[in-house]
Amino acid sequence: MTEKGKLRQTVFAGAAGLKALAVRKTELPEYHTDELIRIVNLCKVYDTGAVKVIGLNNINLTIKRGEFVSIMGQSGSGKSTLMNILGCLDRPVLGHYYLDGIDIAALEPDQLSLIRNRKIGFVFQSFNLISRMSAVKNVELPMTYARVAKKKRNERAVELLERVGLGGRIHHMPNEMSGGQRQRVAIARALANNPPLILADEPTGNLDTASSFEIMELFSALHRDGATVVVVTHEENIAAFTDRIIRFQDGKIISDMKNPGPVSEGKTKNI
Amino acid sequence: MLFENMKMAFAALRANKMRSFLTMLGIIIGIGSVISIVSIGDTMRSMFSSIYKDIGITQSYLCIGYWIDDVRESDYFTMDELSRVKEVFGDEISYIDSSAAASADARADRNRLKINFTGIDYNYQNVQPVNILYGRYLNKGDVAGRRQSAVLEAGSARRLFGTENAVGRTFRTEIYGNVHEFTVVGVYEKEMSAFQKLLMGGTDDEGEAFIPWTLLTWPNDSFYYCHLFANETMSTDELNAFYDELVSYVARMKNREKEDFYLQTALGEMDQVDSIMAGLSMAVGGIAAISLIVGGIGIMNIMLVSVTERTREIGIRKALGARTRDVLIQFLTESAILSACGGIIGILLGGGIVFAAGAVMGVTAVVRPGVILLAVSFSAVVGIFFGLYPASKAAKSDPIIALRYE
Ligand SMILES: Nc1ncnc2c1ncn2[C@@H]1O[C@H](COP(=O)(O)OP(=O)(O)OP(=O)(O)O)[C@@H](O)[C@H]1O
Ligand SMILES: [Mg+2]
Repeated sequence: MTEKGKLRQTVFAGAAGLKALAVRKTELPEYHTDELIRIVNLCKVYDTGAVKVIGLNNINLTIKRGEFVSIMGQSGSGKSTLMNILGCLDRPVLGHYYLDGIDIAALEPDQLSLIRNRKIGFVFQSFNLISRMSAVKNVELPMTYARVAKKKRNERAVELLERVGLGGRIHHMPNEMSGGQRQRVAIARALANNPPLILADEPTGNLDTASSFEIMELFSALHRDGATVVVVTHEENIAAFTDRIIRFQDGKIISDMKNPGPVSEGKTKNI
Repeated sequence: MLFENMKMAFAALRANKMRSFLTMLGIIIGIGSVISIVSIGDTMRSMFSSIYKDIGITQSYLCIGYWIDDVRESDYFTMDELSRVKEVFGDEISYIDSSAAASADARADRNRLKINFTGIDYNYQNVQPVNILYGRYLNKGDVAGRRQSAVLEAGSARRLFGTENAVGRTFRTEIYGNVHEFTVVGVYEKEMSAFQKLLMGGTDDEGEAFIPWTLLTWPNDSFYYCHLFANETMSTDELNAFYDELVSYVARMKNREKEDFYLQTALGEMDQVDSIMAGLSMAVGGIAAISLIVGGIGIMNIMLVSVTERTREIGIRKALGARTRDVLIQFLTESAILSACGGIIGILLGGGIVFAAGAVMGVTAVVRPGVILLAVSFSAVVGIFFGLYPASKAAKSDPIIALRYE
């Protein structure tokens, strides 16, 4: 870029910053449908300059409220790509994604922030906790952005940490905790604003079997309490916790079926 | 929310203490030097104005212009003329003399001392008071009778007579070819601040004494100067109006143009010195202000590094629902706090330097609140202006790209 172009960009960035300060309110349209997620002819293409990589190839998918779904598939099959779109972190190139009846493609970045804040709890493979902040502060963060009062926020964060079994470690820093404990903090954080949709991209990918099962038990409990949970995994015994298994290959859904195995409790002992 | 943002920003800055401090250093030095330089200038100005007050701000000298080629005998002042001027401007003039002075060797017993004699009227004590230690001041009789009476400075008395109480003692001297034998009628003490002594230089090896001005006349009793003190109660405007009338009157009296006379006033001189000093301190302060901009660029630089370093954190925050504005405010708060803290430390440092220097030199330091206000608002503007670009860069980042950042 030329020097002049750079300067212009700097000036515009500053002006945009000022504008962002001026915009005060972000509103969301309110719909309520039985289908929490509806995806129609969804495509995602990564443009890496020289080659275009197809991430998702014409996906159609519907997930109802209260479902417990796992997504499986080989590495590179497009699972994370889908999860990022479901989580409103990324946008589709073609097709539509309706979350709770809202057409995501039509939203502004700040409206997407609001959706992520209120409607989605995202659990990452690599935890993504903020390392400078204690467990309880990490859990409070989504509530801070939802403008929840300080006292209420703290009460709820403590309550959530107790619920995931970390009542005794609320003031620990992330690097003072084990992987399984960190992931439980992340789950507590995902639950902070009581979102209807919980998304977890390989939440057990960095954990041993015992911690993995503990985490999945937590998701099962959330599901029983009425949350809609979508989990990406490579492992059959993790997928076995869920009610519905969707399999991906080369950016396409190759199978979508009910979990044939016995649903719910005692599964850990069978394996 | 604002309070929480500040807490968050402090936590982030504390995580990188050394770096935060070094970043602030630019602002600290900038603000510190602006405040100390401008305040040192202000202090000097107030010192000069107090010196001018000491020597009499209403003091002035009137004489025939140094640019006049055909100076006539009548251009000099006579005693009668001075009396007439004093009569005409009786309300305005509180003291008048010829500003006569002479320097001559004085001898008493075996001691010798070069003395600067100042010729004064009996009421000079009213406009330039000195502290009489022994004896008395010159009186009307001394002046009118051209008596050879002297009021000697205490140090000169000690050197000439070996004692400060030299009242009644005599010394000989030769002024303008006439031999005089003076009797000491009083001894006075001179008070000077450390700074004044510094300015006046080391005239310590020369003595000082007041004698009747009627003794220090040129041939024919004429004088080059008309030296006068105007009434202290006059305002600057009144004073200037008086000066104007005075010159007109004297010019008429002397059959000269008004422009042929030269009036040198303490007021005008002080204004001149003051405006030079003010201009100087503004110029140097302006140069120092450039370092503030450099400090601001330092903040921008560090904030850009910080934004890049914390790309992942920004991604996480955005994934959790932070809006553009939330991230923008977070980073703006950090840069604002950096420059505000730098500003506060700079003020303390600059102010401290000025007050310390003032204490050492024995003068009262002047730190104008306006200068502090200006420096603080400047550093706030610097913090926000240079923080805006990095902050908006952070705020606009795409969450998915930020999360993938290693
Ligand atoms: N940012 C990107 N830029 C370019 N191509 C990408 C990007 N992200 C993903 N891809 C490509 O998109 C395809 C799908 O990737 P995705 O991450 O969805 O796979 P995945 O199913 O999550 O794999 P894994 O099980 O290894 O996590 C892959 O071919 C990948 O190379
Ligand atoms: Mg993946």
